Amino acid sequence: MAVANQARFDALLARGDLVETTSEMTPAYLKELKHTLTVSGDTELISAPAYYLAARRAPSINAFMTGIAIIQDELAHAHIAYHILEELGEDEEKLIFERDPKAFRYPYAFDVPLESWTELAIANAMYDQAGFCLLGDIHDACSYGPWKRGLVKVMAEENFHLRNGQSWMKKICKAGGEAKEELQRNVDWMFPLTVEWFGLPDSLKMHHTQIEFRLKAKTNDQLRQWWLSVVVPFCESIGVTVPAHREGEEYVLDYPFPCTFDAEEKHWDFNDPCGWDDVLERWRARGPRNREMVADLQESYYKLRKSRGQ
Amino acid sequence: MTAGLEDRCWAALAEIQDPEMPINLVDLGLIYAIRAAAPVVVVDLTFTAMGCPASDFILDDVRERLLAEPDIEEVVINIVWDPPWSSERLSADGRDALEMWGLAV
Repeated sequence: MAVANQARFDALLARGDLVETTSEMTPAYLKELKHTLTVSGDTELISAPAYYLAARRAPSINAFMTGIAIIQDELAHAHIAYHILEELGEDEEKLIFERDPKAFRYPYAFDVPLESWTELAIANAMYDQAGFCLLGDIHDACSYGPWKRGLVKVMAEENFHLRNGQSWMKKICKAGGEAKEELQRNVDWMFPLTVEWFGLPDSLKMHHTQIEFRLKAKTNDQLRQWWLSVVVPFCESIGVTVPAHREGEEYVLDYPFPCTFDAEEKHWDFNDPCGWDDVLERWRARGPRNREMVADLQESYYKLRKSRGQ
Repeated sequence: MTAGLEDRCWAALAEIQDPEMPINLVDLGLIYAIRAAAPVVVVDLTFTAMGCPASDFILDDVRERLLAEPDIEEVVINIVWDPPWSSERLSADGRDALEMWGLAV
């Protein structure tokens, strides 16, 4: 498996060449690559049940078809990541069906239930935009050839999700009244949850292994800025208020970051700043839907095995 | 000037990209007919599948683009399923675009 000579591997990376086979990898690279792919696969996979809860509330048959098509895309994107993991020596079946819910490595945001079409629209515009930034960076920079090539089509399909989110947010704003108020209420909890998605600020993050291995190029803060530079102007253009503004070349948050979040109430307390240790603890404990979503995914697999007497 | 107006409408729709693939609606073969008599244009169009998840986006784009055309104030869209779309309806340019993107057509 991963047996490459360290010096030869370092030279390959420094030249900007692509890694194509495990024989060219060092064990440390293989481990980091697998970790990064697992996060990506888990994120795409769990977005399917997360989005499905809301897609069922679509306001028209056409909208329902679009929601379902997005879910189909996400499952396909998950499959691409798990398939590559399988080529790297992991077992896709075990990864999906035999892991404990808390062992899944997707962003905390998906653990908070999306319960309406409005919330799905915001998720497509904000969560999928976060995915677009993270995967777009990997697509640009990734030193592992098979993943880089697989992402070409993933990126094209993600555009469709962004369009669904943005056009429905626009439509809901135009409708005004209670519909727009509901949109604003949901942006109020979903915006900070996506800001948090990008993880520890660069000032606190000690290890940049993924960047050293050219699995990605941009730091957490750079990715967060990229996301803000798309989402903040979009929200402002349709008349939705977000707690961030532009100062020179940078976007600045108008609330203490991080601060405390009540997942059951879907409410941020901007008057109660916290530390990153508190955030990491909340992430590790997972949110309201973690257990249920993973159990739903795994249920039939175990039923089938049981009936086969396995 | 009707023929000129219809030509302009065809050219306008050739500027619209399919929401899912890097190909425009005309090269994809979705537009079956355009009949224009200022200020009204009637478009017969289809989708690649009845369950096309992008159908609303395509309708919005067609309407918005044609309304941006001078002399057009009303857009009537007929969604037709006969003849059904197939890859035979791709133009040569459209076929090239999809092949370059990695779709076998």
